Amino acid sequence: MSKRQVNKEHRDRIEVWRKDAEGLSYEEAMQALDLLLAELQNDNVPLADLQQKVLHGEVYLRRCQNLLDSVEKSIIELDPTTLNATNNA
Amino acid sequence: MSVDRLPTYSVAELNTAIGSLLERGFAPRFLLEATVSRPQLKKGHLWLTLTDGTTSISGVVWASKLAQLSYQPKDGDGVTVVGKLNFWAARASLTVQALDIRPSLSTVLRDFERVRQLLEQEGVIDPKRQRPLPSQPSSIAVLTSVPSSALADMLRTAAERWPLTQLFVVPIPVQGSVAPMIISTLESLAERSTELGLQALVLARGGGSREDLAVFDNEVLCRLLAHYPIPVVTGLGHEDDLTVADLVADHRSATPTAAIVALLPDREAERQGLVQRQSRLKDALLGRIHRERQRLQDQAVALQQQSPLEKIRRLRQGLAQKHQLLKALSPERWLKRGLALISNEAGESISGLESVKIGDQLNIRMSDGSLEARVDQIQRSEPNTTS
Repeated sequence: MSKRQVNKEHRDRIEVWRKDAEGLSYEEAMQALDLLLAELQNDNVPLADLQQKVLHGEVYLRRCQNLLDSVEKSIIELDPTTLNATNNA
Repeated sequence: MSVDRLPTYSVAELNTAIGSLLERGFAPRFLLEATVSRPQLKKGHLWLTLTDGTTSISGVVWASKLAQLSYQPKDGDGVTVVGKLNFWAARASLTVQALDIRPSLSTVLRDFERVRQLLEQEGVIDPKRQRPLPSQPSSIAVLTSVPSSALADMLRTAAERWPLTQLFVVPIPVQGSVAPMIISTLESLAERSTELGLQALVLARGGGSREDLAVFDNEVLCRLLAHYPIPVVTGLGHEDDLTVADLVADHRSATPTAAIVALLPDREAERQGLVQRQSRLKDALLGRIHRERQRLQDQAVALQQQSPLEKIRRLRQGLAQKHQLLKALSPERWLKRGLALISNEAGESISGLESVKIGDQLNIRMSDGSLEARVDQIQRSEPNTTS
């Protein structure tokens, strides 16, 4: 496999991780990151996988950072009797 | 004054005149502090006697007003009435028409104590029952008056601290039979808590008088809160105000804003946590490479020690050490100091006179050679007498 092919495969993999992480809540992404960190801290991860694991961790980290930077807040007012949304401020 | 100059009325005229005098000469609205005595519902209207223990006046709350009151006076309650005078000309009767009735502070505190004692005895109020709050709730319900400065403060704090939590704002009614309405809203919300993904409930009301918080001492409401399916955080009134709802809640905050602070994580603290994790991630890679390099170095050393040349060198070294030891233990060093080793013709070592007789041929070995000698004379040493 040529170097160019390897690089492409690498980028594709990161893209898949990124898409997966997009579906995670802050808490879930944080949990995934902590699991990876725990795994990386005992030396059982094969050296060949090390770089991949770290990159995967960075994807989770970035997901958390992006969520924290978001300024949107979601407030829905409910009618006290029907509990249906009365507005979506 | 002659009788002619006195005003003359029919009964109806007199009553009408009194009515008009009262209408013109008396405050259209006033506050009356009194104790409620013998309240009675008649055709939907609430009739009661307002008294201070010695003097009294009758009072009425019309059915239309009664429905709007958040508090239903009971016999013996201290109250403050916003009222006006009603004069019925037909019977010249005077009544205070209550436009609003609020419990006095003493009444509110008496109710608070009663409900608190009851729920404490039953174990409904028990700090051990308090559940932990979710650490990063994805969705919470906020029950409060809308619009209110308390709500505005809470929304601002929530946006600053943690924008990731979905807030469901449910208005608390402020007029009418507030307690049953809040209870009904809470019950429906409990039923839908799973569907809405609610992880906690905030019950908040901005500052005001303690009397305004009386609804949060309601026994049924507090029992409902105590057994609510999700953790309850209260932020009611001012810092010093304590209601029964605060006591049954899983967490009591002093103010509405504090309730949001207690429930939502701090974005800045969380950012710090992320920075730390980022450096741990980096260290994990560098640290591992460092450790692997060290391991490799150790193994290279171990491998070198297994080479045949190294083995021979170690064997040689062992041999040389043994040689040294042997030399240290040989009698050679005694001979060098002038002592000699004597043996007979058979080559046996002689250590005393018992094995020697005159005429024996002996070999005497010294450090630089040996000589042959024959025994001419045997002389035994005198036993040592000086002991």
